[in-house]
Amino acid sequence: MSAEEEENAAELKIPDEFLKAKCLMNCEVSLILEHKYEQLQQMADDPMNQMSQVFEKSLQYVKRFSRYKNPDAVRQVREILSRYQLAEFELCVLGNLCPETVEEAIAMVPSIKTRGRAHDDEAIEKMLNDLSLIKKFE
Amino acid sequence: MFFHMVLERNMQLHPRHFGRDLRDKLVAKLMKDVEGTCSGHHGFIVAITGIESVGKGRIRDGTGFVVFPVKYQCVVFRPFKGEILEAVVTMVNKMGFFAEAGPVQIFVSNHLIPDDMEFQPGDIPNYTTSDGSVKIQKESEVRLKIIGTRVDATEIFCIGTIKDDFLGVISDPGANS
Repeated sequence: MSAEEEENAAELKIPDEFLKAKCLMNCEVSLILEHKYEQLQQMADDPMNQMSQVFEKSLQYVKRFSRYKNPDAVRQVREILSRYQLAEFELCVLGNLCPETVEEAIAMVPSIKTRGRAHDDEAIEKMLNDLSLIKKFE
Repeated sequence: MFFHMVLERNMQLHPRHFGRDLRDKLVAKLMKDVEGTCSGHHGFIVAITGIESVGKGRIRDGTGFVVFPVKYQCVVFRPFKGEILEAVVTMVNKMGFFAEAGPVQIFVSNHLIPDDMEFQPGDIPNYTTSDGSVKIQKESEVRLKIIGTRVDATEIFCIGTIKDDFLGVISDPGANS
């Protein structure tokens, strides 16, 4: 992709290197950053001093908006979503926002309908059901 | 959205660091230099999670400094146009409101707030629907869509909207109190 103007996540038009990179859900970022924070705490007396503002803000944000707290649940979410031939980016948007209805899911990730893949409403419904089950049994 | 990716950087190291713990010095300097920075292209570099490889060092002419190409894995945050995400409201005024999603600031203009929500000035400025059922104030959590990004060398700034289906307030700090 050349021009910045063409970028549109709703149509999955994001720069190639991001499309190929591994996308992370908020709950996964939370696990990574918490781990790193603990490491920093062990090394320095005052970890707040060591952290950049970007790190601090990101940590607060992902803690606040993590849908799943338990590491096993996080792993399950990724495993279940990855059965549905989603792009990494779509998978993470769904995992982050946890839509409850098919219409909501399509509004959040319009590209699941447009790319001519085998995503009928039933498949999407099943996917959302699977997701809400994990949440219930967490 | 957060991504885990491999980036490369040429690190300059002073000769006084050459010795047994050269690699540690290099990694420490890398963390200090790049964590917390923002580039228009990759977004915010939140944290380095690992070192992929450290290439052969090359002595720079005339200085004695050595340049090492270092490949590292890191967590980056990069907002995209068209992306839908959740954010926390940080400031409300009659022009609209500001929200924060991790390191990035998002402005939602009052034109992009549903028409039935009116600005209410006062101690806690807010946007409220005519029946008072929905309220946006500081610390509210909203779901919004990014419709524009302004990227410069060291900062990313976004414009968002909540005037669309399934967007708007997800939790109201006043509701529980």
